[in-house]
Amino acid sequence: VVSVGLLASSSAGDMRTQATLLLLGCACQCAALRATAFHKPTSFHATRAVEVRLSVAPPEAPDVESVQELRSPEELRKGIAKFYDSSSGIWERVWGEHMHHGYYNDNEKKNHQEAQVDMINEALKWAGADDNPPKSVLDVGCGIGGSSRVIARKYGNTGAGITLSPVQAGRAQALSDAAGLGDALQFQVADALDMPFEDNSFDLIWSMESGEHMPDKRQFISELSRVCKPGGRIIVVAWCHRDLLPGETQLLPREERLLRRINRAYYLPRWCSVADYAKLASDFGLEQIRTDDWTDRVKRFWPAVILSAFRPNSLLGLFRSGFTTIRGALVMPLMIRGQRRGLVKFGLMTAVKPESRVEAAARQASAVSSAPTRPPPPPPPPP
Amino acid sequence: MKLLTHNMLISPNTRNGFPLAIEVEKMKTVESEFNAEFVARMVEKLEYPALVSTAASLALEPPLPAEVPAEFRDDEPFLRALHHVLLEVEIVEGQLVCPETGKKFPIKEGIPSML
Repeated sequence: VVSVGLLASSSAGDMRTQATLLLLGCACQCAALRATAFHKPTSFHATRAVEVRLSVAPPEAPDVESVQELRSPEELRKGIAKFYDSSSGIWERVWGEHMHHGYYNDNEKKNHQEAQVDMINEALKWAGADDNPPKSVLDVGCGIGGSSRVIARKYGNTGAGITLSPVQAGRAQALSDAAGLGDALQFQVADALDMPFEDNSFDLIWSMESGEHMPDKRQFISELSRVCKPGGRIIVVAWCHRDLLPGETQLLPREERLLRRINRAYYLPRWCSVADYAKLASDFGLEQIRTDDWTDRVKRFWPAVILSAFRPNSLLGLFRSGFTTIRGALVMPLMIRGQRRGLVKFGLMTAVKPESRVEAAARQASAVSSAPTRPPPPPPPPP
Repeated sequence: MKLLTHNMLISPNTRNGFPLAIEVEKMKTVESEFNAEFVARMVEKLEYPALVSTAASLALEPPLPAEVPAEFRDDEPFLRALHHVLLEVEIVEGQLVCPETGKKFPIKEGIPSML
């Protein structure tokens, strides 16, 4: 699937580009064939063919609770930090400042970086953030701050961003400083499941493709809800598995096995569904909960990225960017297979944190008057 | 880490983990363009007493007034002093110390690690 797509999309390429794409296509095809056609449930050889070799491979935690879970939260945290520490520079060089998927309308032609910016704007629009622009934004899983900067330029807000990776946080701050946003935006190393912020701190809580990394989805939504201001909004955009059907209590065994293979490569814990996120939001008292499925909108991202990576001047550049792209591409057959089976979804969830009448009145009063008014302290969050 | 950042950080999972004490190993002053409107906007979001005590602990000059002046929006000397403290003092290397538990959070290359 990947190789055919590549060849089909190389419309204007020169001979070298087409030859490179052909080679890459064959490599992907071979890997995909080994993984699919000849795979038996107990065959680890086929699994290894598409496995990503990472510079750090922590020992696998015993597989007690579920087929999907491979590593303890502590191992995951360290693994995530090391993974992004070591790959951040290469990622930035090849793909730019955004580490999330691009948004494409049908038949739309644009480069992948434009598509990544469009993803941010489309998600904000969909969630209704444009109607009520936030003054303070928290970027949870901020990478090198790409989303934070796009949002700050759009709304003129101040913001904070958190990541487990010290390299990313440093880079996020440096890029923001260089963009004249160093005073508006502050980046820290922190754990999204235990955030170093007071309750009720931010108007908008933004999580773009970071939810996948959270080993405890309940604690994740709890924290997002806690630091959100009353009247504020939460937006979660994440890869999820399909919603369970009525009567189902879990995914099919072969679905669990496919997710497990993806998880091993990218330091991912157990997946949840979009419905799970919505239920958690409701559990924590959030309101106006909405969800959506944008799997079709992001389908074209990886072929576009692979194509754009093959425009280097030197053979070394080709090798370096090609290796990283091949690495990403080899995992793609698993994600593509998951999407084809209706298992893997690119989902969105948004919700608002309710205000009490007292808070709503105070907010309106301070917006109208010119003298500064401190709103009364908010009531303690519900247990 | 700027003091603007420090003013919003708490020790995770604590009731009284604010403000964090700062142990400085390397500190520097940077120049940042003064924007009165931006600083005025920050005033309402600040935990002002914590900022004053933190600035005092770092012996920053001139000292900030104990309270925000009533007409702070028109008080340029105040806004400029606040601008300097919030945005022009950078803690490059050091530790943040939780007042409740004594736990230390490192600051490396200007980035606090709040794990």
